[in-house]
Amino acid sequence: MANAKDALLDPLFNNNPIALQILGICSALAVTNKMSTALTMSVAVILVTGLSNASVSAIRNHIPNSVRIIVQMTIIATLVIIVDQMLKAYAYEMSKQLSVYVGLIITNCIVMGRTEAYAMKNPVYESLLDGIGNGLGYSLILLIVAFIRELFGSGSIFGLTILNPANNDGWYVTNGLMLLAPSAFFLIGFIIWGLRTWKPELQE
Amino acid sequence: MSNDSILKTFLVTFSLCVVCSVLVCMAALVRIDREAYNQLLETRTTVLAAGGYDDQLAKGASADELFANFEMKVINLDTGEIATEIDPAEFNPKTVMDNPDTVVAIPAAFDIASIKQRPKFVRVFIDNSKEQIVVPVSGPGMWGTMAAYIGVKNDGTTVNGLKFYQHSETPGLGSEIERPKFQNQWIGKKLYGNSGNLAIKVVKNGRFDPNGADAVHTIDGLAGATVTGDKVQAMVQYWFSDHGYGKFLAKYTKSKE
Repeated sequence: MANAKDALLDPLFNNNPIALQILGICSALAVTNKMSTALTMSVAVILVTGLSNASVSAIRNHIPNSVRIIVQMTIIATLVIIVDQMLKAYAYEMSKQLSVYVGLIITNCIVMGRTEAYAMKNPVYESLLDGIGNGLGYSLILLIVAFIRELFGSGSIFGLTILNPANNDGWYVTNGLMLLAPSAFFLIGFIIWGLRTWKPELQE
Repeated sequence: MSNDSILKTFLVTFSLCVVCSVLVCMAALVRIDREAYNQLLETRTTVLAAGGYDDQLAKGASADELFANFEMKVINLDTGEIATEIDPAEFNPKTVMDNPDTVVAIPAAFDIASIKQRPKFVRVFIDNSKEQIVVPVSGPGMWGTMAAYIGVKNDGTTVNGLKFYQHSETPGLGSEIERPKFQNQWIGKKLYGNSGNLAIKVVKNGRFDPNGADAVHTIDGLAGATVTGDKVQAMVQYWFSDHGYGKFLAKYTKSKE
């Protein structure tokens, strides 16, 4: 069971997909200007990483080596399309804000990296946990970045005003940089720095 | 059978493809089933916001009930008449724009907002309880298309509300057009001057004089978003010109006097 627990919790800090493996940066820049979009994206990625890992692991003994990447890709793409279509059907407003980024989970290296590196060699249960764990690791960074960007960029959290912005007759002058994608780069850089200072064994 | 034999490779990929396509089809069917409902819901919320029903919606009033105040009509912009031959419930703006017969090129002299072409038919929302009409407007912004609904009182000139539902203006600057602070300014403004001339304008931030003679036609622009302000002004001016809703509004106002 120690193995299963590690599979779930390791990706949170010790082997975080964004901060350590430096994967999935593109979507981390794009969807983090608001907590609500970051949270939806997080749930979508956790679903996809978890289920794709479990499915690949379930058929891992039957996947011909010559086409294994294509097989993994097909499974991932199917899951992403299902998640995308469900969002369009039941969370239309949110799917419009996330635009193409849910579809782009297909190209998120975290998903494919985990199916190839972990699910191809491990049993279904551990693979499911590893997938969920990596999804959670991704979500953790996404939510931290989104929290800072929404709070200082718009003065709100989940759309609720915390710091009343000056353009709404309040006192807080919003930081325009936080609304633009590059600010996520700086924030992720600081997070990586902080994490490696806290855990020096992560330094390369 | 070896995993890497040709037969097994084909078998595995084929069965995987069959399973995946069935799943994708099912998901797409669910989405298509809900699409019309989702779009109608979006139109309703925007129309209600543009018609000044924000407060009641925020207090938890049902959008369905409020929307019952509205009567949908399809109008022909070229003649300014109501196009009775088209069922408003079946109206789809995209189909109109896709059909070359129902798209009208805008003559350069009228095209102040560089819209280039507009549909011949537009769906408008007549609100008998607040004596207003809510109409769609759209045009190019700084980076992409902006689209909004505007509520106009039955006098044909007083704005009752404005609500953007699509835009890609600069985050933090031009994107402030979607905020109540900008949108609420429009309430009570007059589109036309005393002689029927188009008078509505968006001025640079800070140049708005609340005591000025033309304050009733003037919107205070957004700081750092002069281009967006100009584009919004051009868009609204085009749509309320004679080539836009001008002809229709003239007839509509007369019929309500």
